[in-house]
Amino acid sequence: MRKLFYFRLALSNVRRNKLTYVPYLVATAVMSGVFLLIAGLLFSKGLTNTPSGATAQALFGFGLVVFALFTFCFMLYINNFLIKRRKKEFGLYGILGLDKRHVGRILIWENLFVVGGGVACGIAIALVFGRLLFLLLMKLIHAVPGSEFSIPPVAYLLMLGLFLLIFLVTSVTNVVRVHTANPIALLSSEKRGEKNQKGLFPLALLGAALLAGAYYFAWTTEVPGIALGIFFPLAIVVILATYLLFLCGSIVVLKMLRMKKSLYYQPDHFVTISGMFHRMRQNSRGLATICILSTMLVVTVSGTLSLYLGREEMTRGMYPYDVQVYAPKDATTQQIVAYDAALNRLAAENNVTLTSDRGKLITSLPEGEEFGRNNLVYEDSEFVETPSLIFFDHSYRFDVQGTNEDALAFIQAIRDHYGDSFSETPNLIASDIFTTRVQGYALYGGLLFLGAFFAVLFLAVAVLILYFKQVSEGYEDKERFNILQQVGMDDYQVKRTINSQVLWVFFLPLAATALHMLFASKIMARMLKSFMLYDWGLVLLCIGGTLLAFAILYFGIYRVTAKTYYRIVHR
Amino acid sequence: MSLLQVKSLGKIYQTKLGMRQVVALKNVSFEVIEGEFVAIMGASGSGKTTLLNILASLDKPTTGDVLLDGKSFASIPDRELSEFRRRHLGFVFQDFNLLDTFSLKDNILLPLVLMQTPVREMEERIMPVARQLGIVHLLNKYPFEVSGGEKQRAAIARAVITDPRILLADEPTGALDSKASASLLGQFEDLHSIGKTILMVTHSAMAASYASRVLFISDGALFSQLYRGEENNRAFFDRIVANLSILGGGDVA
Repeated sequence: MRKLFYFRLALSNVRRNKLTYVPYLVATAVMSGVFLLIAGLLFSKGLTNTPSGATAQALFGFGLVVFALFTFCFMLYINNFLIKRRKKEFGLYGILGLDKRHVGRILIWENLFVVGGGVACGIAIALVFGRLLFLLLMKLIHAVPGSEFSIPPVAYLLMLGLFLLIFLVTSVTNVVRVHTANPIALLSSEKRGEKNQKGLFPLALLGAALLAGAYYFAWTTEVPGIALGIFFPLAIVVILATYLLFLCGSIVVLKMLRMKKSLYYQPDHFVTISGMFHRMRQNSRGLATICILSTMLVVTVSGTLSLYLGREEMTRGMYPYDVQVYAPKDATTQQIVAYDAALNRLAAENNVTLTSDRGKLITSLPEGEEFGRNNLVYEDSEFVETPSLIFFDHSYRFDVQGTNEDALAFIQAIRDHYGDSFSETPNLIASDIFTTRVQGYALYGGLLFLGAFFAVLFLAVAVLILYFKQVSEGYEDKERFNILQQVGMDDYQVKRTINSQVLWVFFLPLAATALHMLFASKIMARMLKSFMLYDWGLVLLCIGGTLLAFAILYFGIYRVTAKTYYRIVHR
Repeated sequence: MSLLQVKSLGKIYQTKLGMRQVVALKNVSFEVIEGEFVAIMGASGSGKTTLLNILASLDKPTTGDVLLDGKSFASIPDRELSEFRRRHLGFVFQDFNLLDTFSLKDNILLPLVLMQTPVREMEERIMPVARQLGIVHLLNKYPFEVSGGEKQRAAIARAVITDPRILLADEPTGALDSKASASLLGQFEDLHSIGKTILMVTHSAMAASYASRVLFISDGALFSQLYRGEENNRAFFDRIVANLSILGGGDVA
């Protein structure tokens, strides 16, 4: 009977707090669903059987671990965010005579409903979209779907394990939170005022300096290897700087605006500046988080998209000649000439023809490139005259005309018959564009796929924070709206100032994201050079396109959440 | 000449679906002369807040009209209403209605800022008002940092800084303890003595006893009125209480 009481109280709480719990549940569903999908693809037999499956699987294994980490952190963050907002309610429970133990029990039930419900919905999502996504992945990595896709039990186990852990940790946090606070403090926690914080200015300055430094290095680092090495440290510095600037910088700027009396005491600015002050105090952390998430989203998607779209150029860059076949170091001229004929014979057997165009040879790398190409001739390169194929520096270089399958078969034949011509086998017999292409599809297609999954995760969290922010601000602004009207501000003016505040707060993270991306674009392009992607135009296009698509999506989210906001303000 | 004329006001509230009608005010008429301190008393639900909202131009009457300096409220277009309110009316509310995002100073200056007053003039005007209300030392504090009585004084300062024709107060002592109430009512008395016109709605006989005239309202209609004449607060208070007992409502405190 008593147990049922807590159960019912929790159920009615969830129902009453629909406005916060439904988005939370949706986010849980999205995260668990995506996690299940990644795990499902990782362990699915369908992927193992494809030619490039191993590459894709290794990638998904790595992706799964990172995804689990992110999911864990985000769920904890959102839970904290929500529980803080309900302090007043807990205080009331305490005053009404409910033991902290009992409040804790109610919270655990609530958490169970939401996480459990979310996971159930997540499984449903995975079941509905799993097959579709599997086919899409197969298409992206250019594999013929061999076997039927089904999520293996081990994927379910992993997902349930992760969310059980999340459930346990969030439950413990919530219970501890209720236990460590006294009712009076809980009751009054919402009305915390605007204490005059000290030491904001140096912190804001530090943030600006960190950001400027990070931007400087991002913009000026030229060597791809170094760019790759410093990207993640720089990203962490930028994250730190973003938080500092949002948390302290915004307040410092607004304070300075407030000091300028002729500007501050204008009807439009007066309410806006002080309103922004209040909003930044309350929401700067959330806004900074949104900014970081958006930046991560754009970096992930544009990076993986660049790689996917640039994959042909990258492979072509590495292989100006389709195939490079190595001869042993001590091969004699006779052997080399003889093997030339052997290669042509193997080609004929596999219905392909070989051409070796000397016009493709170059003596220096194009501006900005620093990796080897197989058409590069050095000053001391030793050429050997052969009947048909170009041979220098111990290897043949030639193009293959024929279908892809025949070309792949031809490469295999070279490997199989190498021993017929040479007694000694070098470590690498042949490197070719056809094999690399197949691996590239798996690698870059898989990466793009993972990138999209992460984008969904980042987006889900960002939207959630945005939504909660709008709702909580709505309730606060409702009161302010009334007072302003009573004091003699007309309806139109009130609407206009509120509008401008909402817009500012909403688009600040987007603007910061765009700025971050501007500087990130250069270092990203440098980094992609280590993957042999030299097309800066393509990288910029991918970043710009992703940013634009994200901005449109963001604006759409704004429209929806703003609607909720105005509904609350206007009752 | 009377400053405020209230002419046979009536207000009927319709429930959402129009099924039921609630009569909040019926045929209320009275006048307020310049420099008067009038209290309107009545029990909860007697219609006194509705009356004040109409006088504040926040609500519109179903029938009748209100004239300030001979200008009819009904003749003012909606667009100009908030400007009219800003220029001619000052408000004090039961729950202070200070904005927690502003310091007390900025709260007080709010109406002046909305009227686009030059900064110099604003600074000149705030000091005398703050001094009179005894809140000079609190100007840079935020509402959450000061007591209820101090908040209400800031609210009064905000109401009078525009030098309105009439000060409207809705249960100004409702959220204060008796000591803070007495001090606040003293402020009203002072304002009255320098010639301000005040109209205060209250259910407290104590508060009403500071006024020069008390109107009693019951079930949406004007019931009776008392003039203070030459009486002191104590004697006037006794008369108000006696009148209330006939009315069968109100609070003695």
